[in-house]
Amino acid sequence: MNQNALSALGIFRMSAGQQPGNARFPFGLGAEGLHEIIAASFGDMPAATGFALTISQIKAGVAVWVNQTMSDMNYGRVSPSGLTQLRPSAPPMLIARTRRLKNALWAIEEAVQSRTVSLVVGEIPDLDFTASRRLALASQRCGVPILLLMPHTRQGSTAAAARWRISTQPSCQNRYDPKAPGSIRWQAVLERARQMPHITPLNFTLELNDETLSLSVVSGLASNTAETGTHTWPEYGTAP
Amino acid sequence: MEHGKHGLTVVAANESARKLAIQTGLSFADAKARLPELDSEHINRLEDRAALEALALWLIRVAPHVATDELDGLILETTGCDHLYGGEPAMMEKVSALLLKNNLPHRLAVAGTPIAASALARAKAGCLIKPGQEAEGLADLSISTLRLSSRAEILLQRFGLRQIGQLYSIDRKALERRFPSKHAAEAVLLRLDQALGKRPDPIHPIRPAPAQCARLACPDPVSTSAALSIGLVQLADMLCDALCHHGLGARSFTLHAFRADGTHDSISINTAKPARAREHILHLFDEKLADLDPGFGIDMLMLEANRTGPMDISSIALSGDLASSDTDPVALAALADRLSAKLGETAIAINQTRHSHIPERAQYIQAFNGDIPSISQSPVGPRPLRFLDPPELVTVISAVPDGPPQYFTWRRIRRVVRRADGPERIGPEWWQYKKNSPGAGATARPGSIPDMSRPDSRPTAKTGPRTYRENAPGPSGNPVRKLPRSRDYYRVEDENGQRYWLFRNGLYDDGRGGPPDWYIHGLFA
Repeated sequence: MNQNALSALGIFRMSAGQQPGNARFPFGLGAEGLHEIIAASFGDMPAATGFALTISQIKAGVAVWVNQTMSDMNYGRVSPSGLTQLRPSAPPMLIARTRRLKNALWAIEEAVQSRTVSLVVGEIPDLDFTASRRLALASQRCGVPILLLMPHTRQGSTAAAARWRISTQPSCQNRYDPKAPGSIRWQAVLERARQMPHITPLNFTLELNDETLSLSVVSGLASNTAETGTHTWPEYGTAP
Repeated sequence: MEHGKHGLTVVAANESARKLAIQTGLSFADAKARLPELDSEHINRLEDRAALEALALWLIRVAPHVATDELDGLILETTGCDHLYGGEPAMMEKVSALLLKNNLPHRLAVAGTPIAASALARAKAGCLIKPGQEAEGLADLSISTLRLSSRAEILLQRFGLRQIGQLYSIDRKALERRFPSKHAAEAVLLRLDQALGKRPDPIHPIRPAPAQCARLACPDPVSTSAALSIGLVQLADMLCDALCHHGLGARSFTLHAFRADGTHDSISINTAKPARAREHILHLFDEKLADLDPGFGIDMLMLEANRTGPMDISSIALSGDLASSDTDPVALAALADRLSAKLGETAIAINQTRHSHIPERAQYIQAFNGDIPSISQSPVGPRPLRFLDPPELVTVISAVPDGPPQYFTWRRIRRVVRRADGPERIGPEWWQYKKNSPGAGATARPGSIPDMSRPDSRPTAKTGPRTYRENAPGPSGNPVRKLPRSRDYYRVEDENGQRYWLFRNGLYDDGRGGPPDWYIHGLFA
């Protein structure tokens, strides 16, 4: 068979013998191609945002954040001071806000095609297969990674390279103050991987060390033993 | 006609009425007596004004500066334009033909000063006075063509001064003495001097002249979008060459379309940084070209550049290692322009920070203006990744008044707090605050700690999320003091592991209102 035909755009080699280059965690997330990050429930959107922005291997440069205005009202806007606490070298973000999904998709594609930005994050409620295929091809052609942050209502097929589902986990013990929240923990499920369908679903429990800001994968056993416990507040007596 | 001081008065008359001695200023009853079959209607000055301004805009095609002259005239500054038509007589013919083609009756005159031209057009249409010859040209015209005030005109007629020429030789001091005030005489002399070009008389164009412009006359009126795009490409070529020649870029471009039927339409685009790249300008116009209504056909296109400024022309760094940032600022500004051309001017924003302790003041979003700000971050306590703006009201139960919450209800869901961290106290910035009501009295009971069962009975749980307002009336109905309160921020985690940033707005005994309310200000990752 002609080798060139296989390396053409849009054709994937699915043989298990030859692994693609990005076969390790996070499977090319934020480095190339289109990836979907879905919040497992309504309250997990901040975790999905944090996951997307800390895991993606952003080069220096400007990121473009495209969102529909509704998501700002639901989950708030991404704050630069909060982001620098998760990632000290976070890129500056150009924010494009629109009301319509059609315009948001157009803005994502336009930003990718400009090839001047290092990452495009789209915060949109849903999109169909054709639109996702279009974005995936644009991303591949221009070499700009796209992350789509989507709410838990997202369903249906996708042309994205991978689909992640993120949920919040109780944080681990704070060594200095047992009453205070400790390092952040997320559960990330790799639901679909287009190039490695045989490995899905894959479950990761991730911990972000809040001092070194290093991300580590917690083993299953360790993540289960983390005891948050039920804590009762000491009684100080009632006010007169 | 119009309701005047003495009943209905004729305020405008057409050519045929003027031939029958029906002049403006005549009472309507007299006019009707002279000509019983007189056709009349009430004047609508607002619509006349709008129509005159529309015509003035359309005539920008002839000369860049067009001003309206009272209610029935237009003044075109044609300095430097006449050679395009082959001299002033030829220009008059061309303009006259243009107006006649659109069925606009008109009276043209050319003179060195606006007042002379205006007087000439009203008295001897079609006349032309060379600059410097205003005195001879105007000598035999009636005083009324100078458009003096009616009192001054009557006074001059009483002196027997009926023609402008009679004013030249008159002793100025003698004239002054005959007027009731020095001011009234000065007004007449000023008008005369301006007409003769002895004193300056600037015109006030309805649109400021563009910094740079290019125009393209179409041999036949065009109405297809393909023809318009071809025209736009040619105009952009011309304009960008001109901008390049002057070393300028522009932040605003306007495309004017002059329709063959005497109307005018325009579309404009704005850029974040001064630009003069032809492809970029054409790309931005692409989105808006459909908004241009060709009507019965467009016979002239004009592209103008406004808000010009020097271009920052610097070569791009050789490689990524040498560059301060990987992003090409020009390309990024171009992207922002394309996005804002489609999504709206306010759709593109960038995060900005400033030195402040109040979280919502410290970070704000600002419309993108081409510069990428460096996010300066002074060391602060924990800040949430997603920031709720404005903060939303929550109902809280805490074990101790000054402690972290044990339960809170946000968006009608009750959350059990497992862990909490805090408080981080942020005081009000008194130097930002202007005291509005110095007389507001203290109503809080100092020293008393409110009943902690009250927050639960507050109405917010039923009425949905309420947002934070500076000095909002407290839900408990206490009178509001116009003083900001300090906040205690807590980082709390609920039983699902979701982390929130809550604050208590105020202290219990600060004397600045009732018991403090709780708000949620952000969500941690």
